[in-house]
Amino acid sequence: MKLTDEQKKMLDGVYGRGFQKAMSMLVKYGNAFGAEHFIRLDSGHIFATDPLEFVSHILEDVDEIRSVSTIHAAYPAETKWYRTMGIPAERGEHESKIHEKRVELLIKAGFLPVFTCAPYLTGNVLRKDAIFSWPGSSGIIIGNSLFGGRGNRDASPAALCSAITGFTPDMLLYKPANRRAEILVQLEGLDLDSFNEADFGALGYYIGSIAGTKNVAVIGPFSKGMAFENYKYFLSPMPVSGAVSLCHIVGITPEAPTLESLITQRKEIEKVKVGKTEVRNAYEKLHTAETNQVDAVLFGCPHCTISEIKKIVQLLAGTRVKEGVRLWVSTCQAIYDLSMKMGYKDIIERSGGRMFTDICIMNIPFHDLAPDVKTTATNSARAAHYHARGGVAGGLGVEVFYGSAEECIKAAVTGKWGG
Amino acid sequence: MVLIGRVINEGKAEGEAVVSQLPFSFLGDFEVSTGKIMTKGHDCEGQSIKGKIFIFPTGKGSTAGPNVAFIGKQLGTIPAGMILIEAEPVIAMVGIMNDIPMVHRLDKNPLQEIRTGDYVTLDAYTGKVLVTRR
Repeated sequence: MKLTDEQKKMLDGVYGRGFQKAMSMLVKYGNAFGAEHFIRLDSGHIFATDPLEFVSHILEDVDEIRSVSTIHAAYPAETKWYRTMGIPAERGEHESKIHEKRVELLIKAGFLPVFTCAPYLTGNVLRKDAIFSWPGSSGIIIGNSLFGGRGNRDASPAALCSAITGFTPDMLLYKPANRRAEILVQLEGLDLDSFNEADFGALGYYIGSIAGTKNVAVIGPFSKGMAFENYKYFLSPMPVSGAVSLCHIVGITPEAPTLESLITQRKEIEKVKVGKTEVRNAYEKLHTAETNQVDAVLFGCPHCTISEIKKIVQLLAGTRVKEGVRLWVSTCQAIYDLSMKMGYKDIIERSGGRMFTDICIMNIPFHDLAPDVKTTATNSARAAHYHARGGVAGGLGVEVFYGSAEECIKAAVTGKWGG
Repeated sequence: MVLIGRVINEGKAEGEAVVSQLPFSFLGDFEVSTGKIMTKGHDCEGQSIKGKIFIFPTGKGSTAGPNVAFIGKQLGTIPAGMILIEAEPVIAMVGIMNDIPMVHRLDKNPLQEIRTGDYVTLDAYTGKVLVTRR
């Protein structure tokens, strides 16, 4: 790779050991994929779960990182909420202490402690062609497909190195030529105007399963005025049923005004039709519960927007959550504070629900909540996938009810799905 | 037999080959305490990749994969070297973060040329892979 003087200084250790380590890892990373030079990073985001030993090593001598970079959501046991959630104190205390140590180091270096999988809710926003390096696959696909940014499927340590140095190797999805569509999905017989967020999630879940790692282009009757949240639930399951990082929604994705702009001339592209049967097929995979007793209702994967919280409040109006059922709503601190100011948090709590900040509800440790929580209901296909499997790392799973916010709130109030 | 590939992380390693035809994730497929592949139905289910030269098509799965391998490195359960058809960013960072000699994009398909049990010498400075049939 060709390095500028500034990048050479980093590599030679002029700025200390942390910059040197980060730059040397990025040079290897770039060389592995044939990058010829670095580009400036516009937006960074990192996990707070990198090993403490590695984090302290790579932040050595780093007084101030050279990018605007936020920190991801944490595991429930690592946050102050572990008691409220019913996670054993011993484990919660241990894990939250390690988390605090890592976070202290990260804040000192300039990372922003927003603790969300949705950095776009906290001021870490993208624009067309913005270069971002974020771990967390929902942020990556949303950043690429909806905001028009350019981001790779970077692992957390890669994002950390890019955030520290402010540079990232020019490769893979940063290069327009690698952003062309590789599979074309044509939606047929679907009335998207009547779709709720769970329908969109099921549709996205199916598309991810057939696309694998390919860049997707989808053509369908998406209305110009469709809510952001519907796109969020449509895109976020694609990297869990598959490994999609970019899904061009033709007419919506900033770089995809037309299909012609996405396809390499004279190259045959795989074409697939998707309709009602495929959406039903995805629902069957996501909705695994065979009983109808709901133990927990979970919102916030990816983290809830203020509109979603308002909707939950409206659906709850005047009702109470059934005794013994957990209604948990997860978001970031900024949206939580806004919910407090609007009185939404009060209404949710008076109804018997709870609001949480900072946690990833996809990774709830069900073994810690057993035997009380054997089933969950959610409107997120991404969460449904992982709840059935016991989290990203795998573990004790639960039976899942999958449906819209309306169905989920009804289940929270009655304790029964569809009842 | 010799294969030549592109270096992801420099270093030298040698050992017995474990060959899988499936994309791999250190988060989910890898039992960090033993180095065994525990995924049900995996073509290497029950086999250990600890200290072996692990050969597989590409990576997959969670962007936290490199962090699991980091723990594996401390426990001594990670492979001695890795050879892939084509890495994706997450699996590449497994090798770079944890200093595992690693190559991809070889001149011949390593999944066809190398069999589990073969002895492999990997020079991940030059990208040269020497295979001795066993």
